Amino acid sequence: MLLIRAIVRPEKKDEVLYELSTAGFHAATVIDVVGRGKQKGIKIGGIVYDEIPKMLIMLVVRDEDKDDVISVILRTAKTSDKGAYGDGKIFVSAVEEVYTVSTAAAGL
Amino acid sequence: MKEIIAVVRMNKTNATKKALVDVGAAGFTAEKVMGRGKLVEKKETIAARRANLIELAKAEDDKEAEALIDGFLDGTRLFPRRMFTIYAHDEDVQRIVDAIIQVNQTENNVGDGKIFVLPTMDVVRVRTGESGEYAI
Repeated sequence: MLLIRAIVRPEKKDEVLYELSTAGFHAATVIDVVGRGKQKGIKIGGIVYDEIPKMLIMLVVRDEDKDDVISVILRTAKTSDKGAYGDGKIFVSAVEEVYTVSTAAAGL
Repeated sequence: MKEIIAVVRMNKTNATKKALVDVGAAGFTAEKVMGRGKLVEKKETIAARRANLIELAKAEDDKEAEALIDGFLDGTRLFPRRMFTIYAHDEDVQRIVDAIIQVNQTENNVGDGKIFVLPTMDVVRVRTGESGEYAI
């Protein structure tokens, strides 16, 4: 299983969650985060903003679903056809075990 | 070394903290998150919750309360949860997971949370600079 962490624009959160749900990946955890990217934040009139609000969407999926999830997020989190700085990043890490508290069962 | 990510109910935060101390994992990070789980397949579990909530509402306008509760239970809403991140030695993982499951189970059958166990490459203690198993 894989943990997918996607950092997206806050205004794109609802759209991404809706499209993920439509594609069959309903479960997700959403966290408010602030951060900066390679562009070192944004400069507006001499002031540099380097704590830009973003949404971190976390979901754990089976290995074979990774490409589906990533393509859905890439498609929906993009701001235009070309995309723009600040659209976000996706990180994938390995998950060894998953437990559901309600049933104490292992597995997704 | 393993990273344990546990998403649990808000009102179980204190119980979880106590359980973690009892099991010997006193160091952790807790975060407020919003989340949703799998769509519930068994309609009975939802029906019980719905009856319970309508009983609690006792609103004058039943239609309005029912519409609210249906929106509440349709599965698309994000609910507040507490996310614990715990770093542990390999041999302690199972004990910690069992302790979290034990204190967080409720009679609701759904929504009690998930626990993920991830491998970790390295841990560094900022105070001393030591790394690896010693730093946990």
